[in-house]
Amino acid sequence: MEGEPSSDASRPKTRIPLQIEEYLAGIAIGILGLITFANVVVRYLTNFSFAFTEEFSIFLMVFMALVGGSSVMAKQGHLNIRYLVDKLPTRARQGTLIVATMLTALTFLLLAVFGTRMAWDEYRFEVTSPGLGLPTWIYTMWLPFLSLAIFGRAVGVLIRMWRRQG
Amino acid sequence: MNYAYLMFGCFFLLMFGGVPIAAALGLSGTLAIALAQLGIMAVPTNVYAGIAKYPLLAIPMFVLAGAIFDKAGVAGRLLRFTEAIVGRGRGALAAITILVAMIIGGISGSGPACTAAVGGVMLNAMLRAGYPPGFAASVTAAAGSTDILIPPSVAFIVYSVLVPSATVPALFVGGIIPGLLACVMLIIPAVFLSRHYNFGGSESGEPRPKFWGSFKDAAWALAAPVLILGGLRTGWFTPTEAAVMAVVFGLFVGFAIYRSLTLRALFELLVESAETSAVILVVVGLASVFAWACSTLGIVDPIAEGLVNLGGGHPLGVMFILMVFLVIVGMFLDGISIFLIFCPLFVPVAQTFEWDLVWFGVLMTYNVALGQFTPPMAVNLMVSCRMSGAKMEDTVRWDIWLLFFMFLGLLLMIFFPEIVLWLPEATGFM
Repeated sequence: MEGEPSSDASRPKTRIPLQIEEYLAGIAIGILGLITFANVVVRYLTNFSFAFTEEFSIFLMVFMALVGGSSVMAKQGHLNIRYLVDKLPTRARQGTLIVATMLTALTFLLLAVFGTRMAWDEYRFEVTSPGLGLPTWIYTMWLPFLSLAIFGRAVGVLIRMWRRQG
Repeated sequence: MNYAYLMFGCFFLLMFGGVPIAAALGLSGTLAIALAQLGIMAVPTNVYAGIAKYPLLAIPMFVLAGAIFDKAGVAGRLLRFTEAIVGRGRGALAAITILVAMIIGGISGSGPACTAAVGGVMLNAMLRAGYPPGFAASVTAAAGSTDILIPPSVAFIVYSVLVPSATVPALFVGGIIPGLLACVMLIIPAVFLSRHYNFGGSESGEPRPKFWGSFKDAAWALAAPVLILGGLRTGWFTPTEAAVMAVVFGLFVGFAIYRSLTLRALFELLVESAETSAVILVVVGLASVFAWACSTLGIVDPIAEGLVNLGGGHPLGVMFILMVFLVIVGMFLDGISIFLIFCPLFVPVAQTFEWDLVWFGVLMTYNVALGQFTPPMAVNLMVSCRMSGAKMEDTVRWDIWLLFFMFLGLLLMIFFPEIVLWLPEATGFM
């Protein structure tokens, strides 16, 4: 529910265009809406239900969350509590924020590492999904991949902080 | 138990150090899981499974529906419609702000988003009419906070995912009367203060907008909550489907009726809504690591027991402790994080006393709503202060009255659970 509407003011200049993630996230939410709407229409007009696509919709939502999480990371738009940090003197504040961003980057790096192992295990053991019968690693591999993207965006934030200071 | 202290300590340290809440939850959870050797692969599994839940799909759809109606220009039309009913004069704009927020709350599901939508129209109107910025910002923030009580509400969707026995439709309908109650409790001090200090007295001379014209214009927006709740009541739609119908309806209104949307604006709305939802869902995903560590470390039962004992085993005493606690955390944390962290701890307490879980969920949400405009760390107040140029310090003397009256509403709900439970029972949702 929370999450302020993002403003253009927070839009940083990045070497890798932010539009990549923004467009992918926007397209994902668009497809999600279309699938769900089509599902309602088809169910009421015919007796046919393609509820089995639920599995794909859920995957799309995870994809949207992580890819959107990546562009939001670059804009430093993830919910955080700046109240105490902003009360610190300038140098201490800058230092704290750099450490905080490093820890954020570490979180997503860990997620990328362990996520790779998770997807690899599912590939090795040939786990398939209950709905569509697809191998599950084609879904779960996006968790480590996109976590790595979020990690990259966090590193980008660090570099920009560093430059501004130096 | 030591790992539990470490995990909570680490979380609070990271959180107050400015680390995003999602990362603070994920990192402290991961640390506890690694040290207690609970199996590190639980980390990625919980993040993925935490987000990959069908009921959560309603969140991006309701966020999108709210954004579409907002961009289509609903707020301005609702302003004219409510102005036609309420009229002008001292305090009228303050009351209108709360009423407009209430109706927009029936379309959008998020407090800060509602505050921004309402503030975009009402703050300027109030400032032009001579209301002090601190007062205008307080009223707008408080009005926006009722959004999460009035269906559709992202908070209720998350609560229902955590507490499956409280269904989304039951919570949605259960939130209607408390939402209206909150609005009444806000209108009373807002109008009283305006009369006392003569805010907006200068514009009484201006003519009212015509009722029927403004009603015809606003009717399309007023129909959206009816469509959502009606669709749920008749069982036509699941909450996710109802959200999509609201999106389609919003597109129809924006493109065909108001003709205020363009394809380009639509794409920007998609990106913006996807990002807003992403912020919520990333917290949901990483909080599941934290919640999993909590339950696997076996600290849920001792904490629940401790809370029961702390209140002397008396239901009212325990309820009071929980509510005070929630108001305090509400000042620092957003509603979604509060639910994700504290529902697993509090729901067992509620079960001990056999409290109704729909009632309890609505009470928790009401507390979160209070927290959204309790300074100094209030999400809604930050939005409205930024939009009006008011300083947070200037809002306190007004805000405190709004908080006090809305808090009285909370007491009413605690002593008379029927306020919450009557409507869902009468309409057959429970």
